[in-house]
Amino acid sequence: MTPDPARMDALDATWKDKPGLWGFLTTVDHKRIAARYIVTALLLMFLAGVLALDMRWQLSVAENTRMGPQLYNESFSLHGSTMLFLVSVPVMEAMALWLVPLMLGTRNMAFPRLSAFSYWLYLGGVLTLWIAHALDITPDLGWFEYPPLSGPSYSPGHRADIWAQMITFTEVAALAASVNVAATILKMRPPGMTLARMPVFLWAMLIASLMTILSMPAIMLVTSMLISDRLVSTHFFAPAAGGDVLLFQHLFWFFGHPEVYIIFIPATGFVSSIVETFSRRPLFGHNVLVLAILAIAALAFGLWVHHMFAVGLPRLGNDFYTGASMAIALPAGLQIFCWIASIWSGRVVLHTPMLWIIGFLATFVIGGLSGVMTASASLDLQLTDTYFVVAHFHYVLVGGAMFPLFGAFCYWYPKATGRLMSERWGRVAFALIVGGFNLGFFPMHVLGLMGMPRRVYTYPAEMGWEWLNQVATAGSVIAVLGGLVFVGNALASYWRGAPSGPDPWGGSTLEWACPSPPPAWNFAYTPRVSSLTPMWEDASRIAVFDGIAVDRREVLVTSVTDAVPVYRQKSASPSIWPLVAAAAVSAMFIASIFTPWAIAAGLLPIGAALTGWFWPTRARATSGPLRARS
Amino acid sequence: MKPGGILVLLAACLAACSNEARTIGPAMPQTLPSGDADPRIGAYQENAYQVSQGRRYFAWYGCSQCHAEGGPADRDLTDGKWRHGGGFAQVYASVASGHPEQDFVRRIAIEQLWQITAYVRDLPTHTAEKRYRLLVDQKGEAQGSSWNGPQ
Repeated sequence: MTPDPARMDALDATWKDKPGLWGFLTTVDHKRIAARYIVTALLLMFLAGVLALDMRWQLSVAENTRMGPQLYNESFSLHGSTMLFLVSVPVMEAMALWLVPLMLGTRNMAFPRLSAFSYWLYLGGVLTLWIAHALDITPDLGWFEYPPLSGPSYSPGHRADIWAQMITFTEVAALAASVNVAATILKMRPPGMTLARMPVFLWAMLIASLMTILSMPAIMLVTSMLISDRLVSTHFFAPAAGGDVLLFQHLFWFFGHPEVYIIFIPATGFVSSIVETFSRRPLFGHNVLVLAILAIAALAFGLWVHHMFAVGLPRLGNDFYTGASMAIALPAGLQIFCWIASIWSGRVVLHTPMLWIIGFLATFVIGGLSGVMTASASLDLQLTDTYFVVAHFHYVLVGGAMFPLFGAFCYWYPKATGRLMSERWGRVAFALIVGGFNLGFFPMHVLGLMGMPRRVYTYPAEMGWEWLNQVATAGSVIAVLGGLVFVGNALASYWRGAPSGPDPWGGSTLEWACPSPPPAWNFAYTPRVSSLTPMWEDASRIAVFDGIAVDRREVLVTSVTDAVPVYRQKSASPSIWPLVAAAAVSAMFIASIFTPWAIAAGLLPIGAALTGWFWPTRARATSGPLRARS
Repeated sequence: MKPGGILVLLAACLAACSNEARTIGPAMPQTLPSGDADPRIGAYQENAYQVSQGRRYFAWYGCSQCHAEGGPADRDLTDGKWRHGGGFAQVYASVASGHPEQDFVRRIAIEQLWQITAYVRDLPTHTAEKRYRLLVDQKGEAQGSSWNGPQ
């Protein structure tokens, strides 16, 4: 599949960005945009991690005075909101933006400018929250801000507005990314990659994107209702005026519960890819894995009420949602057993990415089991709002999503940079992070059972919680040190790592067929696929197609189920308009915290930016109802 | 933008943000306002949290029993007309000493009087809908006659 140099030059001329700042601002290259997304998210993970360390410092001694209650409230609110809305969800979408076209053997996403718009809008959300924090307007009501506490009476000022509007930013960005990923996976698969021959990773990303499209509108709706209660004095959440505070909780968790699976399901895609490659065998139970992910996605929309067991719902409601919550352990268990069976029956190679998967399996199973415990409404009444819950969701989110993400980072790092990460330092980072995490968070189960509530800024020494808190703090410090080693390793390897070649691990899927790092055009020819593991059929001789233009941006569109080539589609060129449009939308969102008129006034610049974005590039038709008339 | 311009912008932002400050625990005033130019006034009148605390005390001390919106004009505090003067110290004096039968000077802590004064002076700056919305959550609280003990 090595193309001749003249073809590569022609492709470079067509697909490369302009050099310098202009190229940076106008790029629609999915790899550059996704890399920005990932770097921004990792930076925020560091900042929110420092907040976590600060809180652990405060809690390590009884009656500590490092923080007062207000600073502590702000710290955990900023930590949670950042980690959930600005790190976990975006970083998973970013991995999809980076990998999906490569795994499909295509040259860009379905809507290249939408990818750029998505990132710029996400950045607007990041800046909204963190610049507000720098100005001491930090949200201080937790990562879900329930009314009436977040309503106009009890949260004067703009702290709650900043939180609610940051969500609008990130959700519009997430919707843009998800629509893009779903359209790309459904319509741009290479010939031969029928739905039945689609790798689990692509299934996971497709399903997570569809879940995002279905669940995000609920949160945008509910935070907009909150803003309108606060700004224009509506009564959505004022019971004394006929509103309903539980409406907020229902709508929030109708999004909030699927959200944790929107974070977890992409991680199952990473795990499947890494397990397959490092077990040296096709995944055990491919169909079971795909169906399990589908089952999790469907069930995820039917169990949000388990976040609300303590608010006083009818008994039958609690019973139903207890059953639904426990049911999700079945598909999750099927997945775990499929991966274990693949590892068991394969020839396992324990490189760093695979170590992360072992860490994931152990940690996630603990989190899953404490999840079955909290799923029981009766037990949950005892455990809710204690450190047991804190331990549970850190085990599932860090163990279940971040460990696979770190594994995926190590696994695809050579593809992105052309260099290998150091195995030795990779193992050190793995041991410190997984060891420190378990040391830090396991004692919280016990603290929760001893009755330590969440979100308290301090506690009296007589409670006897001190030494377990000190163990937890020590564990967090070790995990953060491991994180620094991980980042240091990634940075050092970027300049000094050994060259990796296109396929250092002997991977099974198409992204390993293109050069490392991939050129702007990804693939010189369109590959043709005949199995689930195309690279293992005969890696040196993947069948390819020609016929997609090299002198203009063009991609192949195929049919949804059978991936039969349908037509050649023009792919959008670099443009400044996504950035301009995102800036206009950001201005409208931020101004609408202060005055409702911003929504009307803000539509004008947005309309102008979108007009520029969609300005036609071909001549008017000469026939039909829209023909040019003289 | 020049660095000087950025600094000016930053300073302006920081100055604007004392509106958001939220100090919990005993704060500055333990004494009456010395006049309408008392330097402590801004920290109450311009601060969203202090004004909202004033709203709670306004209801809890029973002020809203007589000073309900739409009531007799001489008791309506929302029209922006101050019969005894609208300066901070003047309104403070009207609240604290203008109701001799309630003996607010003795019953209400000094800082709470500052907060109530800031709230009362803030009332005319909002629309009627906004004032109603701000009160309605508090109306739903268990307080006074609707309080039936801890749940």
